[in-house]
Amino acid sequence: MPVLEKLSHDDALSRVQGLLDGLLADAHLNYGHVDITCVPENLVEVTRRLRDGDGVRCRFFTFMSAVDWTTFGEGEGGTDEETKRPPLEVLLHLYSPEYVIHVTVHVPLTAEPFICPSIAGVFLGALWAERETHEMFGIEFEGHPALVNLYLPEDFEGNPLRKSFKLATRVVKSWPGAKDPEEAAGGGR
Amino acid sequence: MTVDSRDELKNPQEVIDELARGSLQTEQMLLNVGPQHPATHGVFRLLATIDGEVLVDAEPVIGYMHRGYEKLVEARDYRQITNLVSRMDWLSNIQNELPMWMAVEALMELEVPPRAQYMRVVMVEANRILNHLMFFASFGAELGAITPTFYAFREREDIQAAMETATGGRMHFGYMRAGGLKEDVPRGFLQAMLAAVRQVIDRMDQYYNLLVGNEIFKARTIGVGVLEPEVAYNYGVSGPIARGSNINFDVRKDEPYLVYDQFDFDVPMGTSGDCFDRFWVLLHEVYESARIIEQAIEGMPSGPILGKVPRVIQPPEGEVYIRTENSLGELGYYLISDGDKRPYRMKIRTPSYSNVSALPYVLKGTFVSDMIAILGSFFFVLGDIDR
Repeated sequence: MPVLEKLSHDDALSRVQGLLDGLLADAHLNYGHVDITCVPENLVEVTRRLRDGDGVRCRFFTFMSAVDWTTFGEGEGGTDEETKRPPLEVLLHLYSPEYVIHVTVHVPLTAEPFICPSIAGVFLGALWAERETHEMFGIEFEGHPALVNLYLPEDFEGNPLRKSFKLATRVVKSWPGAKDPEEAAGGGR
Repeated sequence: MTVDSRDELKNPQEVIDELARGSLQTEQMLLNVGPQHPATHGVFRLLATIDGEVLVDAEPVIGYMHRGYEKLVEARDYRQITNLVSRMDWLSNIQNELPMWMAVEALMELEVPPRAQYMRVVMVEANRILNHLMFFASFGAELGAITPTFYAFREREDIQAAMETATGGRMHFGYMRAGGLKEDVPRGFLQAMLAAVRQVIDRMDQYYNLLVGNEIFKARTIGVGVLEPEVAYNYGVSGPIARGSNINFDVRKDEPYLVYDQFDFDVPMGTSGDCFDRFWVLLHEVYESARIIEQAIEGMPSGPILGKVPRVIQPPEGEVYIRTENSLGELGYYLISDGDKRPYRMKIRTPSYSNVSALPYVLKGTFVSDMIAILGSFFFVLGDIDR
């Protein structure tokens, strides 16, 4: 289907807001993309409406993943201000080929155990994406037909993309290292 | 079979009818393809459940080449990441670097000079031709036609030689920088590139019919492995594979980045979504890329190749999703920065990953003999799936 109508960013935002009235915790524009936040309970309904809603039709499954916010702002150059970010957040991107609308869905998961409903019944692309997010972040997707590891071996321990999972090489030798090799932790080269 | 038992032979139609009724006793068998198989372009494994000649189920097993890029990038600064991501899809290296820097440029609000934008287009499209020629070669080889390999590699050589003079690399170019390119191209590069591209097109015309017009090739690809448009959307299939299914979806047209809105080019599309259409689209994209390169070289502005860039690449706090049209589909980076020199999180959306996730759907119910043709027509690179 070719592009039917190229919406302005504000029109895209208001259309998505109108379609998902009452289901969203937040909606705003970010670099021209519609950024919405919803609670896990509403996720399936939100994605279904985005896919089928007239004038939106976000039926292209771009990607699905998650973000671990626990150490945000602690790095060099980061702002120390107290932000109300959840520890984990499922991140989902859908795109409407007809109306050129990008929708980024944020699904905050506030406390352990991290459980999110599966959207594999709405988007088949989520079958793999949820398996990957499950092994990388330790999020359970309720309703997924077979939530087994996608990349990692079955006996792998830990969730690599969590911030608490340290890269072994960076434990031995910190980054970016010191100007003088003798100062570097781990003894230079 | 003994001679006596010939009387008991049924005619073929009876057997087919019995199969349809389900009254014939059959047994399912598990067939393991790969991880080391020449048709898988890397280490890709397929667990196929077959019933006679029919694939009942096919489950791709990936991860043999998983390098954990999304974790590694969190421990590296952006100059190091550009070399890392170039190794994802090793046939479209320079195209992998582009959206990553575009994401950094978006967060830092950097201006890219016009000459750099045009030069990026030349490089990216030349890379697309390199990639498509490779699949022109390999798809033929998978179907038993080894000859295209030799032709395609000869043509690749000229373009690679031209790109080597500018970037210093033959495979991993490492040519993109925040705000532009590493350095300007050497004298004579544009002429060499133009000559190489024109030669590719000349010769493509010569042996286009070698595959597309070949009866055996047609018999093995037409009507085989059909992917319906609605399913393609649902899985997130993009690029030549989606366009083979008659989906008019090209980021360069829908949301032009760089200077693509200034060029005149078409988006080739198939009609039925079978193996033949996917291959047909791939071949025709070579012609379109050549058109873009010619126009870009013709309109190449002069001026700086690198914009005003701070000494340290340190994007401010923010998140952005930037996508481009890679050789095999939509390549996007979701970059989250917390103001550090390293990305806080970078989700890499690679085309091969989404394309291959639709394989089980397409393979289901096809014949074992068509399996390799379908695998080949999905044009995937393992490094791009496994990251």
